[in-house]
Amino acid sequence: MRQDNLSPVVRTTRREFVRGMGVTFAVGATGIIGACSMEPSGENAPAPAGGRNAEITPNAWVSISADDVITIQFGGTEMGQGTMTSLPLVLAEELDADWDRVQVETVTGHDPVYGNPAFGYYGFPILYTAGSQTLRGYFNAMRQAGAQARRFLLDAAAVEWGVPVVELETEPSRVMHPASGRSMSYGQIAAIAEVPETLAEVDESEYKSADEYRYLGKDVARIDVPAKSDGTAKFGIDAQVPGMVYASILRTPVEGEEPLDVNDTAARAVDGVTDIVSLPYGVAVVGDTVEATIWGKNALEVTWSETSRFRNVEQTRDLNEYEARARDLNFSTDNPLWQDVGDIDAAFAAADQIIDAGYRTDPAYHAQMEPMNATASVSEDGKSAEIWVSTQTQSLTVMGAADALDTTIDRITVHPMYIGGSFGRRAEFRQKYVDDALFVSREIGKPVKVIWSREDDVKDGCFRPLAAQYLRAALDAEGHVVALQHRVATPNVLRYMNEPRWKVTRGPRRTSGLSMGGAGTTRYDIPNIRAEHLNMDRCSRVAAWRGVAESYTRFALESFIDEVAHMQGADPLAYRIALTRNDPSGRAVLEEVGRMAEWSRAREGSALGVALSEFGRGSVAAGIAEVSVDERTGAIQVHKYWMVIDAGFIVAPRNTEAQMEGNIIFGLSNALKERITISGGSVDQSNFYDYQVMRMNEVPEIQVKALSNNKPPGGVGELGLATTGAAVANAVFAATGARVRELPLLPDRVLAALRA
Amino acid sequence: MASFIINGESVNVDTHPNTPLLWVVREHLKLTGTKFGCGVGQCGACTVHIDGAATYSCLTPVSAVEGREITTIEGLSGDGSHPLQRSWIAEQVPQCGYCQSGQIMRAADLLANNPQPNREEIIAHMSTNICRCGTYSRIIKAIERAAEEA
Repeated sequence: MRQDNLSPVVRTTRREFVRGMGVTFAVGATGIIGACSMEPSGENAPAPAGGRNAEITPNAWVSISADDVITIQFGGTEMGQGTMTSLPLVLAEELDADWDRVQVETVTGHDPVYGNPAFGYYGFPILYTAGSQTLRGYFNAMRQAGAQARRFLLDAAAVEWGVPVVELETEPSRVMHPASGRSMSYGQIAAIAEVPETLAEVDESEYKSADEYRYLGKDVARIDVPAKSDGTAKFGIDAQVPGMVYASILRTPVEGEEPLDVNDTAARAVDGVTDIVSLPYGVAVVGDTVEATIWGKNALEVTWSETSRFRNVEQTRDLNEYEARARDLNFSTDNPLWQDVGDIDAAFAAADQIIDAGYRTDPAYHAQMEPMNATASVSEDGKSAEIWVSTQTQSLTVMGAADALDTTIDRITVHPMYIGGSFGRRAEFRQKYVDDALFVSREIGKPVKVIWSREDDVKDGCFRPLAAQYLRAALDAEGHVVALQHRVATPNVLRYMNEPRWKVTRGPRRTSGLSMGGAGTTRYDIPNIRAEHLNMDRCSRVAAWRGVAESYTRFALESFIDEVAHMQGADPLAYRIALTRNDPSGRAVLEEVGRMAEWSRAREGSALGVALSEFGRGSVAAGIAEVSVDERTGAIQVHKYWMVIDAGFIVAPRNTEAQMEGNIIFGLSNALKERITISGGSVDQSNFYDYQVMRMNEVPEIQVKALSNNKPPGGVGELGLATTGAAVANAVFAATGARVRELPLLPDRVLAALRA
Repeated sequence: MASFIINGESVNVDTHPNTPLLWVVREHLKLTGTKFGCGVGQCGACTVHIDGAATYSCLTPVSAVEGREITTIEGLSGDGSHPLQRSWIAEQVPQCGYCQSGQIMRAADLLANNPQPNREEIIAHMSTNICRCGTYSRIIKAIERAAEEA
């Protein structure tokens, strides 16, 4: 056990919580997991002499061993956001545990006991790490689990000593009786205590107050960092299963096509290629080595069908069509209303002045560093499977695999591995890389590891969708905005990512935050607002993309607010501060970021732009970009970026700053140069040479600040990303007078705006 | 058959001479700390040392390392005690962590040849390697710390 740097041990095993028995079982520590170099679970320690238990499990989330090891279950997955540390830390805080003796287990498989309360739309919570909802969703459950276990230990000690429980207090992992000077460690109590079938809920009023925290709000080291600094962290692609073979898959060049004729003579001639498996959407080359399957794939000759509607996709034409729909106020689809406040029709009819503008955004690729992959072992009858995969959701991976194999979820075991970046890419119901491994393993009767090439990952990417938006504002005689209309023409992302969820959640609005988040505003004091989703045919596969819909809706809205401010002759920051008159959080982040950037100070050769965004229910961010523009080439250089957030109580300050920096870099990378284009249904880009992302030498100076307070914690993993596009576009306008209304802000678009 | 030294051990690997060193290291020898990112020398996730020099293992056929010495993240210190590994923890660099083996191997090559690099030299050297999570500022801090403490 490490004692040096507050770094608990990380384990991955399956624990089945058995109420009333006071024991846990490790049921998944098979030889196969051992082959993944996962440490076997250690719960078979003998009960100490005189004790009744080797380990107790007061509730589903925490176990305490007689030798003082505390094991906490983590229901999310770790993709870099840090919740594998922060969720157990919340529990440990309320339990008053010694963090040095805590170990964390990631929950395997789907068990609603460990589901995120924020994702209950199936009628039970699912294990789903997305939408910046993990800390927020689990915060109270973790506090309750820790407080409940602590209360149980106090009660047990009171009985043992025959003293009133009110005379007891705790130090980390120890119950103290100050009056007599006696104390027992949590492990000593665990050895002798009897756990009742259910423990009473602890009233929220008994939770620690923030000034009592030992760990929360402090800079506790992330538990995953040591293994990520010495190469031992195991990602999905690192799975090694006995008897495993490899597969590479030649996928259809256009979605919806199928292989009609396959000439695999040359592929089969590659040394090490053992099988060719035809799939509905491609051809799998199976072999003893990765390289054999890659070479075999390259040697395949396949004739594809040519009937897919996606062959008609031409991105610019389709975006023109989206924009025409957005601008046509008589056009609507069957799922229009995201926000509807007041009476915009009356407000526009009575307006003294109407301002309007259209904005366009291209698709964006996740560019997560770990290409899609999965390893699966399907049983002989084709109805059971064990899967090793980087996934944002144990539950959906289980459900999707059961759907793929036409079986029941109890026959699917999923081992969630560390995730090499995801940003929304690994959160679908049917994960195609998992399907690949399942179908090939079922066909050949062996465990199979499927690794997509980077080119596969780009060509078969699921992108932030194409979007065109039209905004208009009604102003009264004094120039106040009395109505805002925000029309967003874009596909239904949720329906593509997760049709079953769409069916149970679409509700009366018939749209979702995955397409419409950030449209309209709850921050600005505008009496009449309507935000409408115009549900367009998708031009590509689509997915949530870090910051999700806000990354385009707030590019449009915050650019538009700037345009309105400019037409009023108002300072863009002062204008926003005035509009947030009823929103203290929004106002605070705007004022603070303005102070940090010295907004009013004149710059030589550069200019500032500001934008406001929000993400993660109640969390708000303001960003300011300082840019200069080369008016000869149209190239934008971002020199500095400042961001201030209010995400409630900040559980992990240092990690929060890292997330803010990451959001800024991810957002700026997209705003300045990331662009997917689709021609004839095929993605034009292939790899990092033609889909370039921001490198170290392109990163501006960044300053961030989180305003901590005692509101419940909100999400920080995506917060503020959506400030970047508009802040840069607004700064470009301030620097040059050119308004670029299309994201990314490519040099030729800047040049065109300069000439307009 | 390819013969070379990896992390101080002589190995013989029965494979085609054109096999990228990346796959030999990861899947034949099971040293999975070295990562596959792009396969075309664009991201640096696969960086290893060949005779001490940082190299893209995805672009290096195994035939090119015959008789040479290779170091992967697993062999950089053996126990995580390399000054960069300690500073990576002190500065809490990794987020998802997938690119970090390559980042550390790239940085180790820098410090081996330039023990006290300035900020500009660090940035110039490290811009071969992509980190999509955006840990760049902490990578710079960690390299500066390792140089200071060395």
